Amino acid sequence: MSCANPLDAMLLTDYWLGALAPDDEMRVEEHFLGCADCSAALEGVAALAAGIRKLAGEASLTMIVSQEFLRRAADKGMRIREYPVAPGGSVQCTVTPEDDFLIGRLAADLRGASRVDLSICDEHGIELARLADIPFDAGSDSVMWQQSITYAKAAASGSMVARLLAVQESVRERVLGEYTFIHTRTMPGPK
Amino acid sequence: MEILNDADLVSRIASKGDIQAEAELCRRMGHRIRLYGLKHLRNTEAADDLMQQVLLTMIEALRAGKLRDPEKLASFVLGTCRMTVLDTRRNAQRREKLLGEFGLQSLRPVALTMPDLDEQRLAGCVQSLKERERTVVILTFYDEQSGADVGRFLGVTEANVRVIRHRAVRQLRGCMGAVA
Repeated sequence: MSCANPLDAMLLTDYWLGALAPDDEMRVEEHFLGCADCSAALEGVAALAAGIRKLAGEASLTMIVSQEFLRRAADKGMRIREYPVAPGGSVQCTVTPEDDFLIGRLAADLRGASRVDLSICDEHGIELARLADIPFDAGSDSVMWQQSITYAKAAASGSMVARLLAVQESVRERVLGEYTFIHTRTMPGPK
Repeated sequence: MEILNDADLVSRIASKGDIQAEAELCRRMGHRIRLYGLKHLRNTEAADDLMQQVLLTMIEALRAGKLRDPEKLASFVLGTCRMTVLDTRRNAQRREKLLGEFGLQSLRPVALTMPDLDEQRLAGCVQSLKERERTVVILTFYDEQSGADVGRFLGVTEANVRVIRHRAVRQLRGCMGAVA
């Protein structure tokens, strides 16, 4: 009993996210309610969605988030530890077992930038990782960098430098801001 | 039991009162109705309640021979699902009001849980996405932000958000071993 007209996985994803028009939504529902193959495919979409929700809720990803994201997380009762840093500035930071999200608010003048990279460096300024072409709001005065809370809770005391770079083709990178985080471990763990 | 399609099962229930056919149809439809419930109610307990209610209504109608065209089972079930969800929401609104009045936070339902996934692999797959794709995926699935809201943050149109989301989900499915 295989489906002769299987629903596309992207259509099922849009359905699960509530992104379809009412008529299209009804067509999808009428189809999968009568179809073993497509209901199994929808279950796969639902499982992926649930996995992403759990992953994001654990805040173990290193990524850029929006102010709205943080507002909603706070509304859900999440505890957000946030460190605002000015360009050229440094901040003493730590993380506790009760913290759910760890955010560096990197102040920068983003006007005119078409592409921005976030370079993560060691204390000597040597690049360890780069988040290329990060999402940012050009009208905003900062970038919200989420550091993995899992990593931060296990990290030993030490310093880390973050750089926001405006990148343009055939032009050298322009530093929008350099930010130093001096982390002091307050939780037990390996040295 | 030989492998019958849904319409064959409906006919057997209506004409012969076949208990085995009822059990098989409930097994198949229960799974699908639960998915419908999870999508619309975002709560496993409410989805289970919906499934039970709709299956009862379905079997009652089939036994009474009320479904004249067995091929219309999916339409009938969808209509029943919609009505039951509407009732559930009305009751939920009333319950929310009472919870607010009496402050009984402990009675609130637990969050949605789904079948297990290889979480470590998924974390690697999500982290391997491009920055904008990862942000779109997280804001959409975790935060349930609309395409318009995500687009405002990224400075792109809602249609572009949809394109980025599709590309990201296709990559994630491939990374997780599903056929894209």
